[in-house]
Amino acid sequence: MNTDRRRNNAPAGGTTAPVFARTIREPGYLQSLRPSRSRGLNELRRIFLQTSIIPSASGSAYLEIPSSSAPVTLTLIPPTSSLKITASVQGPKPLPRSAPFSPSLLLTTTVKFAPFATRNRRGYIRDTTERDLGVHLETALRGVIIGERWPKSGVEVVVTILEGDEDGWWGDSGSEGSASGSGWGLLNVLAGCITVVSAAITDAGIDCVDVVTGGVAAIARTSDSGNSKVVARLLDPCPAEHKEIVAACAVAYLASRDEITEIWMKGDCGQDTDALTEGATHSAVGSLAVVKEVLLEALQAKFQGQLEASEGSLKRKVGDVDMTG
Amino acid sequence: MATASLQQQPPSLTFPRPIFAAVSPHPFLQAHLSANKKIPVRANGRSAYEFRRSGINTGSLTHANGSAVVRLGNTSVVCGVRAEILMEEDVPGTNDFPPPRTDGEDEEDDTQEIDTLRLIVPNIELSTGSTPSHIPGNAPSTFQQSLITRIRSLLLSTRLLRAADLRILYKPSSNPEDPDEEPETIVKAYWVLYIDVFFISIDGSEFDAAFLSILAALRDTRLPYAYFDEEYEGILCSDAPSEAKRLRLRGLPIPSTFAVFEGKSEDAGEQDFEWVLSDPDAFEEGVCRESVCVVVDGSRGDVVVRRIEKSGGGVVGREHLRGVVGMAGKRWSEVEKALSGSG
Repeated sequence: MNTDRRRNNAPAGGTTAPVFARTIREPGYLQSLRPSRSRGLNELRRIFLQTSIIPSASGSAYLEIPSSSAPVTLTLIPPTSSLKITASVQGPKPLPRSAPFSPSLLLTTTVKFAPFATRNRRGYIRDTTERDLGVHLETALRGVIIGERWPKSGVEVVVTILEGDEDGWWGDSGSEGSASGSGWGLLNVLAGCITVVSAAITDAGIDCVDVVTGGVAAIARTSDSGNSKVVARLLDPCPAEHKEIVAACAVAYLASRDEITEIWMKGDCGQDTDALTEGATHSAVGSLAVVKEVLLEALQAKFQGQLEASEGSLKRKVGDVDMTG
Repeated sequence: MATASLQQQPPSLTFPRPIFAAVSPHPFLQAHLSANKKIPVRANGRSAYEFRRSGINTGSLTHANGSAVVRLGNTSVVCGVRAEILMEEDVPGTNDFPPPRTDGEDEEDDTQEIDTLRLIVPNIELSTGSTPSHIPGNAPSTFQQSLITRIRSLLLSTRLLRAADLRILYKPSSNPEDPDEEPETIVKAYWVLYIDVFFISIDGSEFDAAFLSILAALRDTRLPYAYFDEEYEGILCSDAPSEAKRLRLRGLPIPSTFAVFEGKSEDAGEQDFEWVLSDPDAFEEGVCRESVCVVVDGSRGDVVVRRIEKSGGGVVGREHLRGVVGMAGKRWSEVEKALSGSG
């Protein structure tokens, strides 16, 4: 085990996550905990979004997609996680003098999972998954920001995932479904990242051609009809709620321009790629409605605050401290 | 207003507040504090001894045994405590700890056991875009490393956690050496607590916020009932919430940070130019050199000082320190209320 001398390390012997007795002794009990989709196929999960959560950053936002399944109180086994992401935009600020000339805005995106974000504890040093997500996010944003307006400057987009969607139901891991590909949760995480960063960038006042939002669609095998061949397209899948996802697709979509800046498709989607992409864009339009609403509200609150502040400052002028010289 | 004598002078410059603060932070804060001699008011509208209200929420993370979100003004942190199992046979070397007491009495000194076995692993992340000075991609800064070290040493020196809570004991059904004798209870494994603190937003008093979030998360932590299963030959846990137990913390040490602002007088005649500012924000931390951190615990009735850290200057002497400890004691009861109110 490699040690990081700048942090506190785990015991050298290594630790293991607790194993719950009932999950290995009673197979039926395990299955009774399996979550299932209670929404319609085209129904999205509810989104909570808030901007300007970090005063020292030029723009920031927090996104939460609560899990739709009911909270479990009868067991200590963690239920399906909800998505919780914060995004912070630092800049645009001038590049250091040593940096070479850049005619447009230099965009840096960093995506990091918190150690408590997933069922298995994550480390502090960024792994390949996080780097991969960062690259995808950067591609999605590069097509939206009008970078020519900020020559010789850079902007840092930092995304922290406090809780991520899971790749599948935890009870399935290791036993089945590993061959059909994994990482379904990452698509949801990416779509959430795109949406929250888009709100943060607007909050920072960086010029964009449109508001970009992320959306996910998937093709899953539904098992309830008895015939396992039945496949259905669904929007905003929660991977834990489906036994077998065949294919999934995440897009970054500009609704008013009808453009896609980033597309990430996984799995065996057969002939149906267009339908899958279209489903993802529908899902993105759904989150756009939330983003627009939140941004409008934030703008109104800002102007309201400015109005009150200017009125207040007229009264306060006498007591205010001014620098003269 | 302009008279003939003033017209010869260059026109007076007036800056709005944010520019004044950015251009000359030190005179800005001094102008604020000295505007009202009796009750000094800081640039952020607080009086000198006023703390920010602490908002505490617990149990919001799915994958943590205990979690807390703490807000102190614009500083907000998320703390997650996750428990994993360390098998006794994986502990390197031989350790000679006193045998576990089964009579439920408080143990004299179990800190060494927690320390050497590294049963608590606190870590902090500042580079989450929470402040412009900590940009990800770099190694943890000196500030971050010192913060982690301070937190770990405070956790250990206050003997907050009990090793008895973290041991997983096993009593064999029969004594392998002598079947007639009563079998001995042995430590089969330990719970290791990973304490991860993520800063969402930083605006001063990082240590207070981080430690408060850790306290709140530890109070929220539930460890499942774990036992050694002979058939499975490993540790199994029960998932019934009724069998889970909470950590029994020793006391409730709460840190309070103070910054000392030293004014610069233009004419040498004036005296008394220091202000002790409690719970400084990032702007005030930037212009203050001396800082004092007092950790007090009032859970046993009287307020007891558990630790004092002071660096950067020589303003706070005996008299000041007395006042500072008094303020920290008052704050203790406020924070204690907020902690118990959070559930």
